[in-house]
Amino acid sequence: MESLPASFIGMGLAAAGLAGSGIGLGFMFGKAIEAFARQPGAEAQLSKYVWIGAAFVEAIALYGLVLAFIIMGKG
Amino acid sequence: MTLLLTTVAVHAESAKAVAAAAPRMDPLHHFQVVNYIKISPFGLDLSISNSVIWMWISVAAVFFFFWYAFRRPELVPGRLQSVAEAGYLFIRGIVDENIGSGGKPYFPMVFTLFFFVLFCNWTGLIPGSFTATSQLIVTATLALGIFFLSIFLGFYKHGLKFLGFFVPSGLPVLLLPLMVPIEIISFLARPVSLSVRLFANMTAGHTVLGVLFFFAATLPWVGSWLPFGFSVVFTAVEIFIGFIQAYIFTILTCVYINDSLHLHH
Amino acid sequence: MISSAYAATAGPAPSSGLPQFDSSVFASQMFWTVVSFLILMYLLRRYVMPAINDILDSRGKKISEDLQHAEKARHEAERLLAGYREQVERARQMTATTLEEARIEASAIRDHALEELTEELAKKRTAALEEIERARVNAMAEVREAAVEIAMLATEKLIAESVGRAKADEMVHAALGHLEQNKANLH
Repeated sequence: MESLPASFIGMGLAAAGLAGSGIGLGFMFGKAIEAFARQPGAEAQLSKYVWIGAAFVEAIALYGLVLAFIIMGKG
Repeated sequence: MTLLLTTVAVHAESAKAVAAAAPRMDPLHHFQVVNYIKISPFGLDLSISNSVIWMWISVAAVFFFFWYAFRRPELVPGRLQSVAEAGYLFIRGIVDENIGSGGKPYFPMVFTLFFFVLFCNWTGLIPGSFTATSQLIVTATLALGIFFLSIFLGFYKHGLKFLGFFVPSGLPVLLLPLMVPIEIISFLARPVSLSVRLFANMTAGHTVLGVLFFFAATLPWVGSWLPFGFSVVFTAVEIFIGFIQAYIFTILTCVYINDSLHLHH
Repeated sequence: MISSAYAATAGPAPSSGLPQFDSSVFASQMFWTVVSFLILMYLLRRYVMPAINDILDSRGKKISEDLQHAEKARHEAERLLAGYREQVERARQMTATTLEEARIEASAIRDHALEELTEELAKKRTAALEEIERARVNAMAEVREAAVEIAMLATEKLIAESVGRAKADEMVHAALGHLEQNKANLH
């Protein structure tokens, strides 16, 4: 197999890791909304942690993206 | 895209010529560091590049924002002074919350860090500008600085007892050979995750913006409004992400400093 | 999309994928990041933070001063309130005293009046008793005169017609009965 097509496949596989981050974000915001519905008073306190968590989960996806870019450079 | 163009052109030769002349998408182009002035004393490369210039612009923006807001400080603050004070108190809240006692000496560093990162993120959204924080080496420099600071603080405050940081308390001795390497690895991963998180967020955001701008510029008007409108929305999202990332960077800095100051592991 | 991006970056520029991974620019950026950061930190510490700290401190001082003023004003108000309370209390006491005095005076007047009345009544009674006594004395004198007269009449009759013992008794009884009859009129 040539290295160029292989690197494209590898980039796609690396970017597939974004799916996990998507699941995580969905879980997190779903749970957050559940929590807000139960305790509307705690929304201000909780939303801070929601955004921090969102940034963490998003970062995981971006590691995959960075990997894809690294593979792009090697191809 | 080339495929689409070939269907338009009848001959393969002319198709190649058209494809070569047509604008090509290059969303990574604006991450290219260009050295404007070459400076290399003692064999060290200290060239002034677009990244460095925009870093300076961010630094100047932070300083002039605060300097202008507090040029005539009043007891009853005006609009700009209120914003500046809110920023100051925001960082003070983060430091108090995450470091607690003994966090005061690190406040200027954390304050500077937050606004440095925030303004680098935000000045990068100006069209034609350069995002310094989208450079891995810039974020890595900051993250490594924090990393070494936390190690230094740990050994300075606690001596060799700081090594106990890698030994989780309340674990059976049998698990220790498993847990200690994990703790060490997670500790070593701190600067990596800290720098890559910021750099990757900025890079990804600007890449998406670059793709959108490319389509907005090259599509015929029937289609271009969609990527254009989306790019406007996404710019707002980028402003938010720029703030959130600066916030996270700051919070994690405080957490790492706190871990070194207070060994409650 | 990827291919075009790839084609663009794999062009004449000696790049490998992301421009960020081009290590030829690392040294200068690292140096200038540190320098910029330290300069910004110096500038903020030197020019901005003292101003912010000053203004926050002075605001805190102002607030605490205001609080102290408010506290002082509260004390003043409490003092005034206590003064007013005292005045009201004093006025009430004064009223009560006046009332009591009035009551005492009224009762004194009443006692006095009662005394006078009693005295007058006693005087009147004494006068009446004296009148009665005088009347009795008069009456007694009249009775005595009448008795003497009767006795004289009886004596005259005795002298005129010598009277027997039975006759004399009857006459004395008649005279006494007369006296008895008049006795009711004496008092």
